Amino acid sequence: MSEEKQVKVHVDKVNKSYGDNHVLRDISLDVMANEVVVMIGPSGSGKSTFLRMLNQLEMPNSGLVEVDGYDISDPKTDINKVRENIGMVFQNFNLFNNYTVLQNITLAPVQLGKMTKEEADKRGKELLATVGLSDKADKSVNSLSGGQKQRVAIARALAMDPDIMLFDEPTSALDPEMVGDVLDVMKDLAKSGMTMIIVTHEMGFAKQVADRVVFFESGKIQESGTPEEVFNAPKNERLQTFLSKVMQA
Amino acid sequence: MVNQRVKPILVAFTLFLGLFAFGTKASAAEPNYVISTDATYAPFDFQDKNNEYVGIDQDILKEVAKRNHFTYTLKPMSFNAAAQMVANGQADGIIAGMAITDERKQVYDVSDSYYKTGVAWITKKGSKIKSLSELKGKTVALKSGTAASNYGLSLQKKYGFKVKYFNDTDTMYNDVVNGNSAATFEDMPVIQYAIKNGLDLEVKNPNNPGNAGGYGFFVKKGQNPQLIADFNKTLKEMKADGSYQKIVDKYLKSDQKNFTGSSADNNSTWGILRSNKKAFFDGLVQTIELTVAGIILASLWGMVLGLMGVAKSKFLRGLSTTIIYAFRGLPLMVLAFFIYIGLPGVIGTKIPAFTAGLLTLILNEGAYTGAFVRGGFEAVDRGQMEAARSLGLPYGKAMSKVVVPQGLKIMVPSFVNQFIITLKDTSILSAIGILELTQTGTLIVARNSQGFRVWAIIGLIYMIVITLLTWFSNWLKKRLD
Ligand SMILES: Nc1ncnc2c1ncn2[C@@H]1O[C@H](COP(=O)(O)OP(=O)(O)O)[C@@H](O)[C@H]1O
Ligand SMILES: [Mg+2]
Repeated sequence: MSEEKQVKVHVDKVNKSYGDNHVLRDISLDVMANEVVVMIGPSGSGKSTFLRMLNQLEMPNSGLVEVDGYDISDPKTDINKVRENIGMVFQNFNLFNNYTVLQNITLAPVQLGKMTKEEADKRGKELLATVGLSDKADKSVNSLSGGQKQRVAIARALAMDPDIMLFDEPTSALDPEMVGDVLDVMKDLAKSGMTMIIVTHEMGFAKQVADRVVFFESGKIQESGTPEEVFNAPKNERLQTFLSKVMQA
Repeated sequence: MVNQRVKPILVAFTLFLGLFAFGTKASAAEPNYVISTDATYAPFDFQDKNNEYVGIDQDILKEVAKRNHFTYTLKPMSFNAAAQMVANGQADGIIAGMAITDERKQVYDVSDSYYKTGVAWITKKGSKIKSLSELKGKTVALKSGTAASNYGLSLQKKYGFKVKYFNDTDTMYNDVVNGNSAATFEDMPVIQYAIKNGLDLEVKNPNNPGNAGGYGFFVKKGQNPQLIADFNKTLKEMKADGSYQKIVDKYLKSDQKNFTGSSADNNSTWGILRSNKKAFFDGLVQTIELTVAGIILASLWGMVLGLMGVAKSKFLRGLSTTIIYAFRGLPLMVLAFFIYIGLPGVIGTKIPAFTAGLLTLILNEGAYTGAFVRGGFEAVDRGQMEAARSLGLPYGKAMSKVVVPQGLKIMVPSFVNQFIITLKDTSILSAIGILELTQTGTLIVARNSQGFRVWAIIGLIYMIVITLLTWFSNWLKKRLD
């Protein structure tokens, strides 16, 4: 693999069904190091399923999923090692209710022996500072607003020092005035060169940070390209319909 | 009898075996038998004021043991369980005012009759009922498994009465005294003794007892012929040398106070409490031991079942569901009888009553605990597990660090509830003869007929313990938060 064009995620002809519901149909996608890929598409089109497959929260029925060179569509692969290198941010935050803000961030690095407690605390506080929540370290997670929770969730994922970050509609559960803070953190992360795969309905944000936009519909990638191509000159009819709907809203 | 010349060889051999079986007692030269009884059956079997087991049966048995050089361990429990213990080989013999009948001879070998008996039918004192035919449509109280009850049952069709069953004699009597049942059937000497000692009942057929026969000492058919031979031989000797009559007179001619204590000790709550303080205390200790051990072990077993219930493996989940289903559905007493009386016949070893009782609690309470533990874990949002796994934490760490602590918090009220249920359920284990609080109460009432006062005391002790347990649980709850 050459230095500049390192493939971080390689998905080839993946299929996934829930019973009769064929959710992912022959999907292939490569993501390069430092690339920011934004996935858009109507609800129920399979975006979450696809994203969750990239860290084996879901297993494909057929096809190949490689992350960092590990074949994670093979059940024999030690998934825990691979996951340490993939951060995941959920729509509903999923902060650990039984820990404080700082403990949420330090739990995994300490438990997995990546850092001592002291190192993890120090790193945790630095991360809290970057997401603008230094004063919340010892608060319970339930005292935070949604936007604050999502920034803690991002800090928690970053504490494992991952190469890749996955975001599944990180701002969809937030009040509108909170969205900006979270997107700002994500923009900074993109600038720092993080490889990111983001499912979102924030089209403005997509235009600004995406290297590539991928349009999902009916379990297929119907179109993909630069933000200019996808937003300004959509070729696919369903993409045009989708865009006209979201732009109106 | 063991031949005198063989005996030293036997002793040496036993000692030799004892050396290999580290710690087992080497004094097995004298055989030790397990004898079951029902100690609510004065004047034959009951507990005296010192909480010793006495009565005509017990004194005869003691003498037989002495003259034949054997020792025995007495297991008092409900009559039905006591008889089954022998039928299943858990006990070697039973002496419990047990009438010799043809049915019983099918299952047991029996000694010569040691006391003449027959069945009396009994009403409340001064009752207007004169003949059995007047019992039509009325309720008759019977003690399950006794010959007297079988006799009563054989008359049921002819006279058209209804039947209600009891597990101990005293509760059965009281049901008639209180007017809940119109009549009861009981062995003539037993009821006459109780009436002589002040019970408000009346025998209707003192001169023509039904099914006249005798009491015998029983062993399992084909087992322990030596024990029966010893019993018969000594009985004959005792009748000849006058010691038999002495025992009978001791119980029937003397004042009952000799056995049951003074009226001051029996006719006030304080007197009962004082004269039985050791029995109450021992019963309480036994109840607490069962409860504490039961709570700890059932909680651990319940945690295992609960964790299995949310495991990834379909097999483990199915296993957990099956175990929980089976043991929640089984009544506690059935399970206790199954383990204590049924199981030893199959596995070939005797199970001590405490162990059987504890096992019963673990399996039953553990199943209920398992169900709410599984429910508690399932109530933790799935996203918590997903977030933990996404960070690279393995399943075990994700469970122990994230899901289990949150689940436990949800379960705390259920745990407190289960602790209290466990305490109350220990009382059911009195059925297999564990001398906990309830069984202690049963034995004291059988002696002094002070049901109201004794059960009030027992009830109060339970309430005090439950209150303490609740305080402890609440303190634990606060510590967890
Ligand atoms: N665990 C599941 N079991 C059954 N069906 C599911 C499950 N997860 C998702 N689906 C179905 O798969 C389809 C795609 O869902 P999803 O990937 O969540 O879409 P999106 O994120 O694009 O809205 C939907 O029809 C959804 O109902
Ligand atoms: Mg989704």
